Amino acid sequence: MSDVDTRPGAILKNNLWTNNPIFMQVLGICSALAVTNLLTNTAIMTIGVTLVTGFSSMTVSLLKGFMPRKVRMMVQTLIIAFYVIIVDIVLKAYLPEISRNLGPYVGLIITNCIIMGRAEAFAQSNGPVISFWDGVTSGLGYMGVLMLIAFVRELLGFGTLFGFQILPESFIPWTIMVVPPSAFFLLGFVIWAGKSAMNRQGAPA
Amino acid sequence: MSPAISPFALFFASIFTSNILLANFLGMCSFVSISKDMTSSNGLGLAVVVVLTVTTGVNWAVLQLLQALGLVYLRFIVFIIVIAAVVQMLEMIIDRVSQTLYMNLGIFLPLITVNCAILGVSLFMEIRDYSFIQSIVFGFGSGLGWWLAIMALSAIRKKVDKAPVPAGLKGAGITMITIGFMAMAFIGFSGMLQVQ
Amino acid sequence: MNKQSTLYTIVFIFIVSFSFVFLLSMTNQVTIERVELNQIIARQRAVLASMGVDVSDPGRIQEEFDRVFADEDAGLFARRGDDRVIFAMEFVGAGLWGPIAGFIAVADDFDTMVGIEFVEDNETPGLGGRINEPWFKEQFQGVNISGGRIRVSVMEPADASAGRVDGVTGATRTSDAIESIVNAKLAVIRSDETREQFRNLLESGGDA
Repeated sequence: MSDVDTRPGAILKNNLWTNNPIFMQVLGICSALAVTNLLTNTAIMTIGVTLVTGFSSMTVSLLKGFMPRKVRMMVQTLIIAFYVIIVDIVLKAYLPEISRNLGPYVGLIITNCIIMGRAEAFAQSNGPVISFWDGVTSGLGYMGVLMLIAFVRELLGFGTLFGFQILPESFIPWTIMVVPPSAFFLLGFVIWAGKSAMNRQGAPA
Repeated sequence: MSPAISPFALFFASIFTSNILLANFLGMCSFVSISKDMTSSNGLGLAVVVVLTVTTGVNWAVLQLLQALGLVYLRFIVFIIVIAAVVQMLEMIIDRVSQTLYMNLGIFLPLITVNCAILGVSLFMEIRDYSFIQSIVFGFGSGLGWWLAIMALSAIRKKVDKAPVPAGLKGAGITMITIGFMAMAFIGFSGMLQVQ
Repeated sequence: MNKQSTLYTIVFIFIVSFSFVFLLSMTNQVTIERVELNQIIARQRAVLASMGVDVSDPGRIQEEFDRVFADEDAGLFARRGDDRVIFAMEFVGAGLWGPIAGFIAVADDFDTMVGIEFVEDNETPGLGGRINEPWFKEQFQGVNISGGRIRVSVMEPADASAGRVDGVTGATRTSDAIESIVNAKLAVIRSDETREQFRNLLESGGDA
């Protein structure tokens, strides 16, 4: 990716749509799919991912001039782990309930391929500010898809949105939406819809 | 304090009822890309079993040390460094011991450091307060479960490739839906084991 | 300076790690008191919730907890409510994946359960994890435990007067685990020794 368009608007469109990390690249789904049965958890989790992606891209870009080649990956991992630990500490201190619900998945942000992917593909060769923007928009593209899945799962699985009762009491919750397989099905459908829409636009897949 | 969960139940549950991949969504990235090819799936699966068992054990010991020093908040960094180090060492050992094994297994090892399943199992081990034996059994069982899942999926994908799937659904889309069906089948194992 | 030399690499890694760990320990120091306070409040909230006290307003938790007499070493709690006395005891037991911990509250006749609250569980989200949903916990309110046992099952219809509550569909092992944990704890709570401890706790607290 040497000839990437580095205008902020182009990056936004690219990361949110044409090169969406989830439905175009199927990256980074491991750490967050598991918490998509409730909107609140998904929102906090993906905000965490977005911030970590943004700040670690920025830091990688700042340090790129000083970084010895052979330990590049290792330093990147260190940087990512550093921000993830900050997210973990902040959640524990200010949102203890959510921190308990997310359990081990906060730590798993470290292995989210999107973060490392953006650091490698973009931040290595661009300035800190634009790298931060690239990281944040990638995170937002990721957030959009997962929030959509969480919206469907929480609405049909519990009849609530963000914990507030939306559907009438008489609605019988779909247990399938609460258990893991539904996340795979919904993600499959989202990828299908996304790709089909893109094929119609004639964009290169 | 370790809860009295029998290692056998834990072993069974980590392979079937709560497969690390199908119930906890861990290790998806390499899962989707590698499962196109059965030989690679087999090699990667085997490597995951080995690495998971070893790293979970080592991380258990490291965690005791961190707890003694009051540095538990640094665990993410330390775990990931341990995993990277263990993978590197295994690669060197295998390279010196057997060339055939290295060709089958070694090439997949670097991929594993960033496999979320490895870090995930260590984090579950920490949150669930497992004893050493439980950790090893859980690591080994989860590895086997992952191996089983990737083999099953790559076999299914071989057939799916020949099916007339709508254009937008080809590749990742239909794979996700296939994984969904597998996850449903695995949930069916839940009733098979009694407590105590 | 040669950026690819071993010395440079080592110094670089050292500086990066040092500064990161330094920043992290600062952050940790700043927030540690808050984290500990959160843990205390979460525990008090759970005790009160098991006793059926309304804990929806976080600001009132400490105030409400002032009316609870606690013996933290034994994990015993007693509260003189507006109209009745409630006893609660901490429990820890083995679930499907890891420990399930929480509080069981009983009325002062030791024959009726007042409620249950979980503070820790690692059950499968969406299956065993549903024990945290209100419908499951609310079932335990007013369950007859004069027989010393409860039954958690999806096979038999729930009947509070006979000590039966509904299990979680698809989570038989978690339901069974809850049943055996609760029964083991009920045996302790209803023993003469523990009853005595509860009464002493109430009296000592009453004087204070």
